[in-house]
Amino acid sequence: MTNIQSTKVLIMDLVKEALSIDGEEVKVSDDMPLFGSESALDSLRLVELCLALEDKASEEGYEFDWTSEAAMSKSRSSFRSISSLAEEYACQIEAQK
Amino acid sequence: MIIVTGASRGLGAAICERLTSKGQDVFGLSRDVSSLTFDGQACDVSSYEEVKSVARMLKKKKAIVTGVVNAAGIASMNLAIMTPPKVTQRVIQTNLVGTIYCCQLFAPLMLRNKRGSIINFSTIAVALGLKGESVYAASKAGVEGFSRAFAREMADFNVRVNCIAPGPIDTDLLKGVSSAQIDRIVAQQIIPKQFVPSDISDLVELLLAENAGSLSGQVLSVGGA
Repeated sequence: MTNIQSTKVLIMDLVKEALSIDGEEVKVSDDMPLFGSESALDSLRLVELCLALEDKASEEGYEFDWTSEAAMSKSRSSFRSISSLAEEYACQIEAQK
Repeated sequence: MIIVTGASRGLGAAICERLTSKGQDVFGLSRDVSSLTFDGQACDVSSYEEVKSVARMLKKKKAIVTGVVNAAGIASMNLAIMTPPKVTQRVIQTNLVGTIYCCQLFAPLMLRNKRGSIINFSTIAVALGLKGESVYAASKAGVEGFSRAFAREMADFNVRVNCIAPGPIDTDLLKGVSSAQIDRIVAQQIIPKQFVPSDISDLVELLLAENAGSLSGQVLSVGGA
């Protein structure tokens, strides 16, 4: 099973990096929304986060499709929190094993 | 690489011919690719799954996509009250939904390099409100609205999105349209002249070029409307 916890940590690090100004530490929680009016990420940063996850999957010989219906669904969007994105990532990788 | 939809016929074929003659790496999409003399794949743009499969294949190949020309389209020249629902659905599905699918699924191939140009096709019938083209014009008005908003969404990634809106160009799409009808439409253009496919290829080349970097969210009406 792909480690959801390590993916969560990776996503949190990427979000911290995206939000950090002048290297200042930014607090990020795993229930932080990644999409919508409550998200701290703008569209550019959100897409960059997706591209970084795509790269991580590719390095491991897998594909991560952030444009999938599950990822985009409004009611159960993978972008509703860092945790849900980590779960979607793990689920997609697991399905390819 | 430049992806061109509707590559086997009409404007799409003329655009591919121009781009390949200029040494561009063109990847053509069409329902029938048997006539293509360059790289391509069979794809019906009205099918999300088919477009997605092409996008996935190009991503796997790590293709560097710098342009997308959405030239696939079908026409319907009829009064709205005489247009069967199946035709209405097919026109909207191919012209509008197909263009949206190609933009949604091919744009991500350009985001990584933060550069690119997407060209969608409208029609001068949108601006002129031409009689007998209501369903076709509706599908293309949708393309214009989508393109303007999508241009804003893509601006952060330095990907430009524009529309070309031709008048009656001499291609298969005009089969069945009388020369008198064509003359009436042409007379309403600011430049009352029937343009040819190479005029459209000129505009495509212009919009793909990096020195058109200031143009995004625009609709270029061929002949003026």
